[in-house]
Amino acid sequence: MTEDDDLKTFFSREIEASMDNLYGTAMRLAGSGADAEDLVAESVSKAWSAIETLQDRRSFRPWVFRILHNCFISKYRRDAVRPAESRLEENDEEGLAALLNEQPDEFLVWWANPERQFFNSMLGSAIMAAINNLPDSFRLTIALVNIEGLTYDEAAQVLGVAPGTIRSRMKRGRTLLQKALWQQARDAGLAATNDNNGNAE
Amino acid sequence: MNSDKSSHEHDDIGCLEAIEAFYTYLDGELSDPQAIADFEHHMSHCRSCFSRAEVERLLNRRMRETGTSKAPDELRSRVRRLLDEF
Repeated sequence: MTEDDDLKTFFSREIEASMDNLYGTAMRLAGSGADAEDLVAESVSKAWSAIETLQDRRSFRPWVFRILHNCFISKYRRDAVRPAESRLEENDEEGLAALLNEQPDEFLVWWANPERQFFNSMLGSAIMAAINNLPDSFRLTIALVNIEGLTYDEAAQVLGVAPGTIRSRMKRGRTLLQKALWQQARDAGLAATNDNNGNAE
Repeated sequence: MNSDKSSHEHDDIGCLEAIEAFYTYLDGELSDPQAIADFEHHMSHCRSCFSRAEVERLLNRRMRETGTSKAPDELRSRVRRLLDEF
């Protein structure tokens, strides 16, 4: 087998193995199935064209996700209908404590003693809706880490940010997600009000 | 664990510090053995943080179960055709 054949075999195998994750991420970026399919196909073409820039084969996954993300930014983002980046993104370096201070006391009490039954009964679609309503940077970071299984370092490479930014986004994004789920629970009458001792009323 | 601490000694990191480490721990990104030991020690005696961690683990599982997409067969075929052309 020539070196080119070996490279092509490696590339094809890795693309096949990453296909579901690439499509899932493309869906989150582009928002529709047809656009997501175009985005994946374009990214695969660009990745093969740039294969010489892959310095370590073990880094294939973040490398190809990064290409997908860049493809989206350069071509699709102008037409996307995602909400604007949240002001929270601009304040990533601020501590989680500041964010927690913005939360209603009732939420903090509930979060300290959440009803497991609520999470067991919550539909997956409701959880995904809550994720999809997060600001872009948090939504994408949580999806890359918690759904697609990337490490913080890999997610940082994909999004072109420092690993510390991923840590910050995870803390803030997951706290916002908890708050959104709490509000859903309240709206559905599923979240009991807890007293200060953590006892459900 | 640091060599200057016995296996029974842990910093009492408190809930705020535990919350700061919450996701790095649950996502397997907390690498310092002492920080892991201190976090787990806090979990062992703090009902609130333990309860939060359990719910976060449950939420992680639900996200993976429901958020994972399957690429359509048409896309797989399209990409295979592309790969054949390379």
